[in-house]
Amino acid sequence: MSRMEEILNLAKSVPPFPKVARRVMELLRDPRTDARSLAEVIQYDQVITANVLKICNAPYFGLARKVSSLREALVVLGHEELKDIIIASSSAKFYQGEVGAGYALEQGDMWKHSVASGILAKLLVHKIKDVDAATAFTAGLLHDIGKRFLSNFVADDFERIMDKVLKEKRSFVEAEKEFLGVNHAELGGVILKRWGFPTDIQQAVLHHHDPGAMGREPLTALVALSNTLVISMGIGVGADGLATKMRGEGLARFGITRAHLDLCMADLFVELEEVGELLQL
Amino acid sequence: MKIVVGISDMKVSNNPDDTLITYALGSCIGVAIWDPVTKVAGMLHYMLPDSALSQEKAQARPFMFADTGIPLLFKETYKYGAVKSRLIIKVAGGGQIMDSPDIFNIGKRNHTVLRKIFWKNKIMVAKEDVGGSSNRTISIAVESGLTILKTPGRGEFAL
Repeated sequence: MSRMEEILNLAKSVPPFPKVARRVMELLRDPRTDARSLAEVIQYDQVITANVLKICNAPYFGLARKVSSLREALVVLGHEELKDIIIASSSAKFYQGEVGAGYALEQGDMWKHSVASGILAKLLVHKIKDVDAATAFTAGLLHDIGKRFLSNFVADDFERIMDKVLKEKRSFVEAEKEFLGVNHAELGGVILKRWGFPTDIQQAVLHHHDPGAMGREPLTALVALSNTLVISMGIGVGADGLATKMRGEGLARFGITRAHLDLCMADLFVELEEVGELLQL
Repeated sequence: MKIVVGISDMKVSNNPDDTLITYALGSCIGVAIWDPVTKVAGMLHYMLPDSALSQEKAQARPFMFADTGIPLLFKETYKYGAVKSRLIIKVAGGGQIMDSPDIFNIGKRNHTVLRKIFWKNKIMVAKEDVGGSSNRTISIAVESGLTILKTPGRGEFAL
């Protein structure tokens, strides 16, 4: 079996994305869904229930008073916030522990990077229209999920990959592809497909390292841009560092200039200071 | 004690047991300064070149920008008895993603502004390690001024 087959086989045995999350997303597509029917679904997942309460009481959401029951939380929270919380608390477990060791990421780094990308993706919805905020957050949060499962394979070939990057100026994903047959973006796309995420999110994850990503679908451009800026800021970045290739021309169609990018980074920095609870899931 | 300098942050110390360290400099720039006589060290980790972007942000977080952060770094060490002409200055970071001559050249802009500010103020940089596509971690020991740079693929070495 080739490395690539081995890796893609592994993707088949990746644990499922929490059912509750998928069910809640479906319910939220119907604007008539009320707090009671949501609570009925969510209450069966203790981790998500605990997280909803924890995050709901975080300063980031700015609630006037503390909530203590799931029902209460669901009444207070808007559907948009709830979607973000459900996705974040369902995703967090995949990023816990030494999951990014192959990329020389410290514990917690991959989660920090993912949350930052999700938040920045949401901020960018004002510039990159036709993408809804919850979809942007989800895609940003999960864009590197492939790393979680490719990490061990990267570890095996780490020296060779770094050599390619440093001596031949290849991007890290090009080196991944060369030695492993598949890169973490492609693997992420495969995993999200298995998890049943919408096609636009799969595509955005699959293409987030394509150098021409800015010229693709709005969600793909948005996720690629978020990732690029979060990498530049050095948030949760490992041995791959800034060794990624990305062209900026496509940004003109969204009216995005250099000053916008600077402002986005400054805004993200401020937001990150306020999402402590989200980072500690 | 290890004192961590975060993103958009600055720390100064004259405690000989301290080491100032900043992690994961991507396109951001880390500036380490040290006075060998009074043994004062300072470190700044700024993220963006120009505070004109947002006066409001610059006021709340002056260490976010090169033009507001760098003067404050120097002034803070003067309070501990550092003298400008003696300061040894080391600079690291300012990396950028590959093939990015265009809109993503944040690292380069960060470095250009620093050079302009230093040139205008007749400040010489002793050592620097900037550009490229690696992220960097830099530390400075207050007692010895020993500055260590760590970067993936090149390991750890004195700057």
